Amino acid sequence: MLNEYYPSLAIIKEIKKETNNTNTYFLSFSDNKFEKNFSWSPGQFIMLSILGVGESAISISNVDKNNLINVTVRNVGNVTNSLFSFKKNDIIGIRGPYGSGWPLREIKGKDILIIAGGMGIAPLRGVIHYIKSHREDYGQFEIIYGARTPEDMVFKYELDTWMKIKNCSLHLNVDEIPTKNPFECKIGLVTSCFPIMNTHHRNAVALVCGPEIMMRYVAKCLETIGFDDKKIYLSLERRMKCGIGKCGHCQIGINYVCKDGPVFNYADIKPFIRPL
Amino acid sequence: MKSYIIEKNKLKNLLECFLKKYKIYGPIKSGIDSTFDEIKSINDLHLDYSSTIIPPKKFFHPSRQILFKFTITKEKYLIQEDIEDEKFILFGVHPCDVYAILKLDKFFSGEIKDSFYRNRRKNSIIVALNCNQPGENSFCKSMNAGPFLKDGYDILLTDIDTKYLIEIGSNKGKKLIEDLELIVATNRDVAEKEKKCKISDRKIRKILDPSWLPKLAEENLDHEIWVDLGERGGVADSFPCLSCGSCSLVCPTCYCYNIYDTLDLSLKHGSRIRELDSCQLLEYGEVAQGGNFRKERKDRIRHWMFCKFGAAAGGKNSNCVGCGRCIRVCPSKIDITKVAKELRRRK
Repeated sequence: MLNEYYPSLAIIKEIKKETNNTNTYFLSFSDNKFEKNFSWSPGQFIMLSILGVGESAISISNVDKNNLINVTVRNVGNVTNSLFSFKKNDIIGIRGPYGSGWPLREIKGKDILIIAGGMGIAPLRGVIHYIKSHREDYGQFEIIYGARTPEDMVFKYELDTWMKIKNCSLHLNVDEIPTKNPFECKIGLVTSCFPIMNTHHRNAVALVCGPEIMMRYVAKCLETIGFDDKKIYLSLERRMKCGIGKCGHCQIGINYVCKDGPVFNYADIKPFIRPL
Repeated sequence: MKSYIIEKNKLKNLLECFLKKYKIYGPIKSGIDSTFDEIKSINDLHLDYSSTIIPPKKFFHPSRQILFKFTITKEKYLIQEDIEDEKFILFGVHPCDVYAILKLDKFFSGEIKDSFYRNRRKNSIIVALNCNQPGENSFCKSMNAGPFLKDGYDILLTDIDTKYLIEIGSNKGKKLIEDLELIVATNRDVAEKEKKCKISDRKIRKILDPSWLPKLAEENLDHEIWVDLGERGGVADSFPCLSCGSCSLVCPTCYCYNIYDTLDLSLKHGSRIRELDSCQLLEYGEVAQGGNFRKERKDRIRHWMFCKFGAAAGGKNSNCVGCGRCIRVCPSKIDITKVAKELRRRK
């Protein structure tokens, strides 16, 4: 019997280039048994290991209809750097999924406001897909996605389909447009969309993921425009070594981000992520 | 259950009997300090100790251990399990350390169990020893963890002058001594233990009311005391924290660990290793692209203290047992009880 620290082996079935330094990997378990037992919800993450290099927490950006686990990875550290040298049909190790995921059941019937910054869109992509296929369960839908430049945006090939979701509006914001503007991006922070967005706080829930500094200000601004802190959900990033609430690195207050999160209600963690 | 007694000079027979079946780890005197190490004969054993530098946590949650070994070939990885099944007796553990082990037991159980810890724990027998000489830094009494033990042991020894009172706390313990011919303890022996307990209780000078500790943590997240402790002149006669991590290294309830891989020179064989980590070190909260969620020293010392107050994610499973080791080893003379008192005073 495998224990909690042993990774299961997975094959890279396909690699899709997203940006200069970001790829989406399509993974499949090499053992069918694990594939059958694998159930996930948007917002959860896996521990991705490359033996000899180490292990990293990577969020699942989707599990597609062929049961392939999609992980979207930006090349920023040892493990991700080494992953970028891997090719199709190479083998890596994964364990999970871990974490709580977005509260999709609890927020049924609400208007949904998704705010993502940079790679923060990856754990939210599953939510967008879910809402797309369960459209009648939710109210108005709005996505605000910010990145550094239009080239740094991931899932560009999907933006069209997102825009076509019924009763959905999409705002794309960037810090700068160095060359051309392939889609209608505006220059500005994600918070600059707040005055023009359709969502009203009365019946809305905000799902936020991005760099922590962005989330701190987004949460603060949302509160300013009337959102109750209980209606804001954040997905946090922390150093994680075990993924099962034992190694201690991801503690925030009285919670472990890996076990009790990574999705938290803003009201629960507010004292620990106040704007500086 | 029945209690027994054994004359101090007969302890040798008891130990030899245990040694036939088990490996024994107990306090030995190395240099001027005591430490837990393998006991091969009665001459190694040094039961007359106050506290060891490193807690006996190291036998269940070792400072460095291999999680698994692997071989990388062209097509696949081969993963080999690495399970130890050494059966051992932990001899002469003081109550504070037993309580710490009980806390770790709870911590490593929970929804997801840690099989490495559970496995070692299953293979161990704890022979505890009530503490007759609490040190100047001990405040176990305040943390409800000593100086005398109430439960959690397999066998409990109490030094009553020329003999040891032997109490049995579990079936494991009962089985261990069932073949021995021991003298049944009289009421006088038990009364003698009570007397010793009171004497030991009185020796403890550090007193602290633990009930307000979690509340202190909740209310003082931004207290200036953390700046004093981390960057300015220290608190209550201490120097500012140096972030050396000694406190968490010697703490019997600190559980944090790091996981990393090593490879040999052929780049084919390697192992995944887990190693104790400390929240006091800068790398602890580091993430990709230079982010660090505990960059400031004050944030790190605050986190450690809150963890020991029982107000971090480990909750009651990682809070303080009052062994006083961190106070003893701190190069800046930071005393967690003084910080708690100061927090309350400056409110």
